[in-house]
Formats: sequence, structure tokens, C-alpha cells
Amino acid sequence: MSEHRYRALWPGGASAVTLVQPAARPRSLAGKRVGFLWDQMFRGDEIFPLLERELAKQFPEIEFVSEAEFGPTFGGDEHAVIEALPMKLSALKVDAVISGIGA
Amino acid sequence: MRASAAVEKAGVPTVSLVCDGFIRQGAAIASGLGIAALPIARIPGHVDSQSASDLERNIVDYTLGEVLTHLTQPTANAQAEQQAKSDGTLIEGTFAEVNDYFMRHDWSDGLPIVPPTREGVDAFLAFSDDLPERVIGTLAPSGCEATVHNVAVNGVMANCRPEYMPVLIAIAEVLADPNYGVEHSGDTTGGDALIVLSGPAVQRLGFNCEEGALRDGYQANSSVGRFLRLYLRNVARSLPGAADKCTFGHTWRVVLAEHADAARSLKWPTLGEDHGFLPTQSAVTIARFTSGGTIGSIFGDDPQTIADYLADGLVRHTSWELIFTVGFAPGTYCPMLIVSPMVARTLARAGWDKARLRQELFARARLPASKFEKYIGLWTNFVPGRKTLTEIANSGRAADVFAHGDDPHRVVPIVAKPEDFMIVVSGDPNRSNAYALASNGMHGYPTSRLVRDG
Repeated sequence: MSEHRYRALWPGGASAVTLVQPAARPRSLAGKRVGFLWDQMFRGDEIFPLLERELAKQFPEIEFVSEAEFGPTFGGDEHAVIEALPMKLSALKVDAVISGIGA
Repeated sequence: MRASAAVEKAGVPTVSLVCDGFIRQGAAIASGLGIAALPIARIPGHVDSQSASDLERNIVDYTLGEVLTHLTQPTANAQAEQQAKSDGTLIEGTFAEVNDYFMRHDWSDGLPIVPPTREGVDAFLAFSDDLPERVIGTLAPSGCEATVHNVAVNGVMANCRPEYMPVLIAIAEVLADPNYGVEHSGDTTGGDALIVLSGPAVQRLGFNCEEGALRDGYQANSSVGRFLRLYLRNVARSLPGAADKCTFGHTWRVVLAEHADAARSLKWPTLGEDHGFLPTQSAVTIARFTSGGTIGSIFGDDPQTIADYLADGLVRHTSWELIFTVGFAPGTYCPMLIVSPMVARTLARAGWDKARLRQELFARARLPASKFEKYIGLWTNFVPGRKTLTEIANSGRAADVFAHGDDPHRVVPIVAKPEDFMIVVSGDPNRSNAYALASNGMHGYPTSRLVRDG
């Protein structure tokens, strides 16, 4: 006797997001304004100054925008902080962002 | 990564700093955030266990180079995930073949699933007035749609019964509620969701609310609990090792059903009623909990003594989670106390209602400020800079009760306000035990939905 066969349906959901490509990159960070975004976790307060120091060595004209300008990207305020990012980045003329810390 | 996605969409290039072990998670969630790829600069190891000099060497010698590369060079595109055939069929085969396929393709939790056939799914859909294609919401991290149809498919797989369908839909509605925070379901500390079912559906659908209230062995409690984990896996795509980065975690929790008859006899509202539903309505409340344990053999009839013991149990199961009381998501720590009907009856006989019990717990469930500060500072670095509770309160990240003086030996509560304690009556009616569960705060904040079961 043959075994019963099942036509099993897909348990997933259709993607509701439209994929966009990452933003265009500058050729160099020379003369650019780099902003920091911090989730207030995992030693960003130690890591960001190290990156700032090293990047400034390589690109003397580089400028930095502190994470304090944007607010914590994780926690109770994260939705409001993230929603406000496009406007703040534009107002602060930020060319590139370093965000952390994923852990 | 959510912040980086928003920045990339705004046309500004990003690089995300991510420790070893989280690279796959970062890649897994990028497409769900609407970005084909999110550039990641790796930090070797994990920052929490590195000396200052090791951290500096890793950042300067390794991470810096990746930061420069990703901010100045294009990034590779993401790959599309497996989709169903146009008729919705994933595979045709025997029971064993279907199960093998589902497990190999990450559509199963490792236990056998009931093959979700069209007939089986239709039987579930018959218990809902909703159209199958109704979009309940979008679930993170996948960015995929929760629909009535895929609720039914996963309900079949979990060995639910068709009549549970209104409960399953309510569960999906909670997951889609931004208040709940489903995007945090894969956090490293690995709390697990608990579904609490209140109201007439408990009895009507055969949920167990007495002996073994948190134990498998009852189809309704077990299969609906399993459904939630399957749904997170298959629709939210919270897969272990990828988007799900829990360090330990637990097996999925069975549904906790409230003992409505016991609560009603004491004139105590159920959790559903606490959350605004009528006694005639059924509701699900979902929250994530990190740990828990029994407060055993509660002796005597003095409510003050009993409250001392219950509060002690709540404090014993609370440690690093205090970061949800003050700090980055203040006021989101909502521990649950499950009391057996016998314990509830003893308290009610002394004239205590649930509101009184919450007040008494708030007064008693306390620990020294210095220890609280260690949990969120010295021992975890959740609050960088070793700030005191007073300093945190003064910065607006804690309730006023934490700003009462600087004495490190003063005792402070484990929650921001009495209402943050959730109290449920359930379990063996003839035993005087209770159970304390530590809350995962904003990572699965208590959220309720009506069960629309006619």
C-alpha cells in the first residue's frame, strides 16, 4: 500500500519591504563630516574616540559630529531617535555615519 | 542596524560596528530593514571581555580598515530567500519527506510538524471571519507580512486544533504591535515569550489552568505555545544563530491559562481585565521573561508574612533586568507573579485585592541601591560611567523614587511603580505555591489583544 502524500503549504510571509541599495559612497573621507550613532552599549564611549583619533590622522580636514547630537539609537526612545535621523543628518550636513555597537 | 538602515535610506553611507558572532545576525536582518546590504565593520572578539589595550589594538589594527573600506566602496547585494511555488505549495511528499524538507530548510523547530495541507488550513480559516489574505502586520526582523493565512498554516504545523484560530490570530496581532517589540526577540540574553490566556476561551477550548499550569501535556497549552515559536521562526524569521542571537534561551513556553473561576470567586480581576477587557471577553497577553522560579510552600495565613515571601521571590529572580527599571528603557520592567488559587484565597480572606497586593509588593520587593547599581553598572556596563541611581534619576532616566538620597545602603524598588507587577491566578487549587518571572522589559513588553471568538 502506498504511503499517503501531503501537499504542504509554505509557512512564511511575503516580504513587505522594498529593498533599496545602500547609499553612494564618497571616494575618500577627506574633508567629510562623519557622524557617530551609539546605542549606548558595548563601549562605544571608548571605541568612538579611538576611531576619531585615527581617522583624523589620515584625514586632517575631517570633521566629526558627536553621538550626543542624535540621541541613543537603542532603548525606550529609539523609535523617535531613528525617525528623526534623516532630518538631523541633513541639518548637521553629515556625509557618512559610523554606528555601533552590535554585540 | 535599524539606525544604519534609516541612515542609508536617507542617502548617507554607513558602517555598523559589530562584534564577532553577530556578523550573521547583521546580515540576516538587513533585507528586513529594506536595505539590500548593510556594511559591517567587524570588531574581533567581544568588547565586553577585552582590556582597554586589547580593545584599542583591535579597533586600530582591524576595525579601522573595514570602516574606511565600507564608507568609501560599494557594497555587495543581498540574496533572496526561498519562496513558495505560485500555488502556495512548498513540497509534496510523505509525512517523513515533508518533515525532512521543512527541517532542512529551517521551517521547523526540530520536532515533527503536522503537514500544513490546504484542507487542514481551510479548517482553521473556517474559525475566523477574517479573509485569509488580511495582513495583520509586518514582523521584524524579516519584514514579512503576518496574515490570517500564514497564521493558519503555522497553527496546523504546531498541532493546534482549528478552533484555536481566534487565539492564534490574537497572538499574531500582538507580535505585529510595535509596543511589543518583536524585533528584540533574538536578543542575546534570550528571554522567551509567555502567552497568558484570560477569559471564557480557557474553559471553552480546553486549556489547563490547574495542576501543571506551566507544563506540557495539554494539547491547547502546548500547541499554542509551540505555534508562537514556529510563527517567530517562519514569518519573523528569527532563526537561531542568525537573527536569533540568544545565548541560552529556553524551550518555548506553554500557554499560561488564568483560573478565571478562582479569580472571580475572590473578586480579583484577571490579567485580561487588568488590561481593559471585560470578564465576558477572552484576551491574550504576551510578554517575554528571562527567568523564573517557584516560591514554594507558602505557609500561614498572615498576609504580611506572605507578601514578604512573595516579594523575596520577585527580588531573587531579578538582577541585570533592572536596566529595564532605570536606564535605557525606564519603567518597562514588568515581572509576573503567578499565585495559586489557594494563596490568592488566603490573601483575599484578609481583605487584600490585587491592587493592595501590588502596593505591598512595591513596598517590599526592594534591594540596596549599591547592589542595584552593580547590576546595571559595574557588573554589566549597561549604564556606562558607573552612574549612581540618583544621577540617573536626575537625568530623567529613572522614576523619582530612585532619587531619594545618596545612601548606598538605602533600599530601592525593583519596579518603577506598583502597577508594573503583573499578577495572575493559576495552578493547582490545592497547593500554596507561587511563581515569579523576571521581565525582559522593552524586549517583549506586555501587550494584549482581544480574542475575537464570537
